[in-house]
Amino acid sequence: MEMSETQIHILVNALMSACGFVVCYNIIPKFKTMFINAHLSGIDMSKRDKRKIPESQGMICGAIFLVIMFLFIPVPFYKHILTDNSEKSFPHHEYIEYIAALLSICCMIFLGFADDVLELKWRHKLFLPTMASLPLLMVYFVNFDSTVIIVPKPLRFYFGHDVNLGILYYVYMGMLAVFCTNAINILSGVNGLETGQSLIIALYPADVFVGDTFCYFSGMTFAVVAILGHFSKTMLLFFIPQVFNFIYSVPQLFKMVPCPRHRLPKYDPKSDKVEMSKTTFKYGNLNILGKLSVTVFRMLYLLEVKEGVGEDNQYMECNNMTLINLVLKFCGPLHEKTLVTFLLTFQILCSFLAFGIRYQLSKVFYDY
Amino acid sequence: MEMSETQIHILVNALMSACGFVVCYNIIPKFKTMFINAHLFGIDMSKRDKRQIPESQGMICGAIFLVIMFLFIPVPFYKHILTDNSEKSFPHHEYIEYIAALLSICCMIFLGFADDVLELKWRHKLFLPTMASLPLLMVYFVNFDSTVIIVPKPLRFYFGHDVNLGILYYVYMGMLAVFCTNAINILSGVNGLETGQSLIIALSVLIFNFMELNGCCREAHVFSIYFILPYTAVCLAIFIHNWYPADVFVGDTFCYFSGMTFAVVAILGHFSKTMLLFFIPQVFNFIYSVPQLFKMVPCPRHRLPKYDPKSDKVEMSKTTFKYRNLNILGKLSVTVFRMLYLLEVKEGVGEDNQYMECNNMTLINLVLKFCGPLHEKTLVTLLLTFQILCSFLAFGIRYQLSKVFYDY
Repeated sequence: MEMSETQIHILVNALMSACGFVVCYNIIPKFKTMFINAHLSGIDMSKRDKRKIPESQGMICGAIFLVIMFLFIPVPFYKHILTDNSEKSFPHHEYIEYIAALLSICCMIFLGFADDVLELKWRHKLFLPTMASLPLLMVYFVNFDSTVIIVPKPLRFYFGHDVNLGILYYVYMGMLAVFCTNAINILSGVNGLETGQSLIIALYPADVFVGDTFCYFSGMTFAVVAILGHFSKTMLLFFIPQVFNFIYSVPQLFKMVPCPRHRLPKYDPKSDKVEMSKTTFKYGNLNILGKLSVTVFRMLYLLEVKEGVGEDNQYMECNNMTLINLVLKFCGPLHEKTLVTFLLTFQILCSFLAFGIRYQLSKVFYDY
Repeated sequence: MEMSETQIHILVNALMSACGFVVCYNIIPKFKTMFINAHLFGIDMSKRDKRQIPESQGMICGAIFLVIMFLFIPVPFYKHILTDNSEKSFPHHEYIEYIAALLSICCMIFLGFADDVLELKWRHKLFLPTMASLPLLMVYFVNFDSTVIIVPKPLRFYFGHDVNLGILYYVYMGMLAVFCTNAINILSGVNGLETGQSLIIALSVLIFNFMELNGCCREAHVFSIYFILPYTAVCLAIFIHNWYPADVFVGDTFCYFSGMTFAVVAILGHFSKTMLLFFIPQVFNFIYSVPQLFKMVPCPRHRLPKYDPKSDKVEMSKTTFKYRNLNILGKLSVTVFRMLYLLEVKEGVGEDNQYMECNNMTLINLVLKFCGPLHEKTLVTLLLTFQILCSFLAFGIRYQLSKVFYDY
């Protein structure tokens, strides 16, 4: 069966990726001691025995990913390399996309690791991913500079067939990197969830914690392929659970409702199950947006509220506003493994939904 | 005075680098607590008071360098960005050099930081810089693919006018990154030495680049200037904090970052031989260290000079062994160095008076051998003066002697 060149390149990439999987899978346990000695460890709060688990292991994934990519890059350009005097015909503009993408991803892996080690502040976490996207935006500008978006059919009456967002498109792409990174990061707290979200099956019980490094690495990789692959709207469709979790978390993230340091589910050693974690406050002390969020979520059955608690029975208690707590609200206390399985199943179902929207409903909203 | 476009770009780069210097200089003290809390600190062994000094500060330099470069990159391509429909005329092949260079440097900063935090093994330290050079080698191949070296006149009888090294040239370039990195790393151990030597090399390269702007490879040297100016800025910022008495330690991160930056400009600027001339003290220190690095002679964990709290001076650090237990290469090294007055040997020490004691084979110890115990500040000033003199020598060799060895 004759294979096109592209098919061969994809096959080579798949083989190299398979090798990368084997290397990565075997190497991670070998680095455990190194990470623990470097004080990069956490205690798993949802287990009975509080042993040290190495943190920031996402950094190993990132490093191996870079090695695979560095070794793979010559492959699509093989033909051009072998021909003499190929400088004029070498597709520099294509090669640039690879290199700029890898630069942005490499930068993020570095920042993620620095964040894990040094615990950078929020302003760093927003500023630095934006900086890391600059090479990407530059390449997009030079190669495509397409800032026109097609307006969905129902809105065409108001906006016309297409709208040129101009520089706003670049702002949107810059934000995409920041969003993907942090969206994965806040949907975390149970073993395997961050990695599960990113379609890698993690071990249970957890032998490793992935750390912010992994979230940064993953977020940027997704943003890169979405931007240079021109499918950022589809990428966002695949991020439906993360988007939902983000919107649901907004009142706490923006301090409209008090936000504790960790919103992890609460562990009960007796039953070996986890249950909703809660936050307490005085309803009267909330600002208008806080009161609005609590009321609206409550009406939509998205928030479990208990009134008349705390001192003087003046306080209100509600679950922390995360998707994890929401699942626990509907299913009651669960074993950690069950909980993460539910959440990942939800992620898979949302992916099916994403495909449905992309291919079916798009006939409704667009002309294809 | 009319300025050419390139002059304007260089000026913009210089201004951005100056801002980078101010930011870096001010930001370093602010991160001290963060690094100490992350257990990234060391104790200054050459001081009376053993307080905690934050380590790996080279990482801050690296991060600021990357930000400056990311913001600067559009500048040389400004003209192409503003013109509509410029996709066909955009000089992608030039742009690629910048991006690939930054990719290699970014990779090294990341690896350097990982090394500082995790304490990677030697095999990692050799493998990873080579991986990080791959984008660089690829770009060199695609853009230039020149693997021909001109043979120095005295050797032309044997080798001909020029020799095509082929793939060996790429091996040489790959090794350049590994070498520059580790060469700076092993000439260390006193306040201000790593940063000082790097600063002097950077300034030498900068002067060389400016001198060559009127020469044959103008574009290559402009490229080098665009990278070395920001590097010098962040290097100066950390040098001031690292100078005696040091407030910060730079860590392996700094050595990796510096080594790769120098390797990058040397390779894409086509002046790797001149770069090695600026590395004369590092090369000497490396050759002198070979017996210990390759375990021909026992090598202790640290070869720093020994501190004497009473006199507040440092003296040679030593290593003890039985002469007869050395292998043939070890015995040879000790004998040869001793004959060249490069090694201070005391015999008949240790238990049974059977052991031999010699100074650890580093340039620092060699200076202490000739000058006796010194105050740390004096020692590092002597070493940096030596570095400056070697730079003058490098310029002399490059411009004068090259008339002897080559046709220009």
